[in-house]
Amino acid sequence: MGVRAIVDTYEYPSRSAQENYGDDLLVHVWWQDNLWFCSAGCFRVPQAMAWGDFLSGVVYPWASGDPDFDPATVHDWVLDDAPLEASEGKTLAELGVGHKSLLEFRAPSRTGREALVG
Amino acid sequence: MTVPAQKPARKLSMKQRYSALTHDLNWTPTYVPEAEAFPYTTFEGIKIHDWSKWEDPFRLTVDAYCKYQAEKDRRLYAVLDSFAQSQGQLGLSDGSYLNAMKLFLQGIASEEYQAHRNFAYLARYLNGPGPRFAALCQSLDELRHAQTEIHALSHYNKHFTGFHDWKKMHDRVWYLSVPKSFFDDAVTAGPFEFLIAIGFSFEYLLTNLLFVPFMSGAAFNGDLPTMTFGFSAQSDESRHMTLGLEAIKFMLEQDEDNVPIVQEWLDKWFWRGYRLLALVAAMMDYFLPKRVMSWKESFELYFEQQMLGGLFPDLAYYGIRPPRHVEQAIEEKEILSHQAFWILYQFSHAAAFQTTVPDAAAQEWLTSAYPETFPKLYQPLFEKAQEVMDGGGRFFNMGLPQLCQVCQIPMGFTEPGDPTTICQRHSIFKGERYDMCSDGCKWIFDREPEKYVQAWLPVHQIYQGNCGGPTIPDVLAWYGMQPDDGGDYLGSADHQAWTAWHATAAKEG
Amino acid sequence: MTTTADRPVGIDLQESEETRALVDAIEADNEDLTVLHMPGIVRLTKPGRLVINQASVEQRLGRPWETHELQLAIVSYFGHFAEWDDDQILIAWDH
Repeated sequence: MGVRAIVDTYEYPSRSAQENYGDDLLVHVWWQDNLWFCSAGCFRVPQAMAWGDFLSGVVYPWASGDPDFDPATVHDWVLDDAPLEASEGKTLAELGVGHKSLLEFRAPSRTGREALVG
Repeated sequence: MTVPAQKPARKLSMKQRYSALTHDLNWTPTYVPEAEAFPYTTFEGIKIHDWSKWEDPFRLTVDAYCKYQAEKDRRLYAVLDSFAQSQGQLGLSDGSYLNAMKLFLQGIASEEYQAHRNFAYLARYLNGPGPRFAALCQSLDELRHAQTEIHALSHYNKHFTGFHDWKKMHDRVWYLSVPKSFFDDAVTAGPFEFLIAIGFSFEYLLTNLLFVPFMSGAAFNGDLPTMTFGFSAQSDESRHMTLGLEAIKFMLEQDEDNVPIVQEWLDKWFWRGYRLLALVAAMMDYFLPKRVMSWKESFELYFEQQMLGGLFPDLAYYGIRPPRHVEQAIEEKEILSHQAFWILYQFSHAAAFQTTVPDAAAQEWLTSAYPETFPKLYQPLFEKAQEVMDGGGRFFNMGLPQLCQVCQIPMGFTEPGDPTTICQRHSIFKGERYDMCSDGCKWIFDREPEKYVQAWLPVHQIYQGNCGGPTIPDVLAWYGMQPDDGGDYLGSADHQAWTAWHATAAKEG
Repeated sequence: MTTTADRPVGIDLQESEETRALVDAIEADNEDLTVLHMPGIVRLTKPGRLVINQASVEQRLGRPWETHELQLAIVSYFGHFAEWDDDQILIAWDH
């Protein structure tokens, strides 16, 4: 059902569309099973960014806000509900990361599900 | 000379006076067709056959309205004056209490004004004289509320941070986009949907959860101005509740075809309003130094008992059922305030209020109010946050959060039945992905995606470069915030000032 | 299943000197009334219907009292205003 409106055609552009970000994308990064970060983070990144740079320049600095974070323990990456096997040299675009894609990982933390409820 | 005693005019009964001053003053325009005089009451699909069937149970007339509103204001301003004269801010339960009022001023005052504007529109554009007059009164009430809230809290602006620039903040700040987008959604709907959105769902179903525990909390924490403006506003609120209830009954009674439309609006606006109240839940359980009742108790009392137990059986007569997703709201009463506060806690560096780890007494209270969830799920967060503090740091989230496309709250709510997994929902519309925090918000998006794709999401706008610049200080400056506004309460300018005042008082006393 | 006659209705009033007479009057005229005191507020609930009689309030206040004056004391309510007249206010459910 469309919007009932006083105009015949109710159609307006998305305010979050990819073309608002040049060659960049918004991506969401979610530390699964850890309550420390209240939500997934949202980041603006170039599509041509290499996975390794994305990890060291974006994900790890953010995740280190949890004092329990250890980059060596990060595992089980998931991209938009499908397991992701990423090599460091591949770009985000090559890995299939799209605008507002959801990237999930797991890592141990004292405020993780395992520690809280077992 | 003697003047013969004048025989007093026979007093009209309340019923006659109401009829004389509303319905009898109405006329049917002959110079334009009705559809041209009232062009906005058909496009939503609501069918009205007889506008005269709308009655105001208050039977309020303009003379009575003016008389009692003037009296309310007289009482209010007397209290505000004496509070200011006696330096009443020094008698608050604690300086941290005012963080609740900062959120209230930033988040509510501008919405009162929004409500004022839309009720003024209804006062012009509804076809019937009864609802037009009721809408006019409510429009004036809402303006009065905006003014009295601003006036009452202006005293605190002389002594505390965060009470300045509330108007600019309302239009720009990330957490204030939650109430702003809620009202933007309502005022851009048609007049009938607005009545269900604000008049019924917000005023009748949910406003008690906002005002009553809050005002009682203000009373308990020595905040006389807030308590007084709150009660003064809330006395109007009962009239607004009546207008909302009358609106829904009127629509349902006028035509059976209205029932499914009203039901969908109810489903939508219950969830919209409930999500907005997440901020209130956090304030009730975490911002008040002396607590009156928990969010959970207040939800049970004002929503489950009164509305689900009282109102909805009444509306069942018309074929209306309780709102969609209500069972999720009930389930969330154990976790909502904690999740909402945890969001506010970790983004306090980008806010015009301060938060801190609840102290031992507060944690004890939280444990007794939420024995099933607080000790197991949330206390460990605060213990770890305290460790960070003890090490000389303070945990702030150094990213920007993923926001819900509909309610615009950071997506920190969890899956039904699993409080340890964040609920992630999304829809694809015209090739673009949109994320939602819950089944409720996703249902709302999917019903009208054309509306929500336009959402001005603060995080996305920051990344587009529309909020003053790329760094956090750039954005905060654009928000109108000052360096002392946010952060942790302990050690803040407010905390230091509060401690200094009381140290002086102790020395002198 | 509850009925219109036993589903609770209620009213929250500001706790003040002036409303004390009002609360007394409501207590006197309504059997099975439950009274709950919270900071600043008194909450009155009752199954089915709650009535406020002008005469009872005036008797306790010792001065004339218009039913419209309830607007100065009311904080919230639940139920419908089934009747709001010169001499009486009645809160009840319709169905």
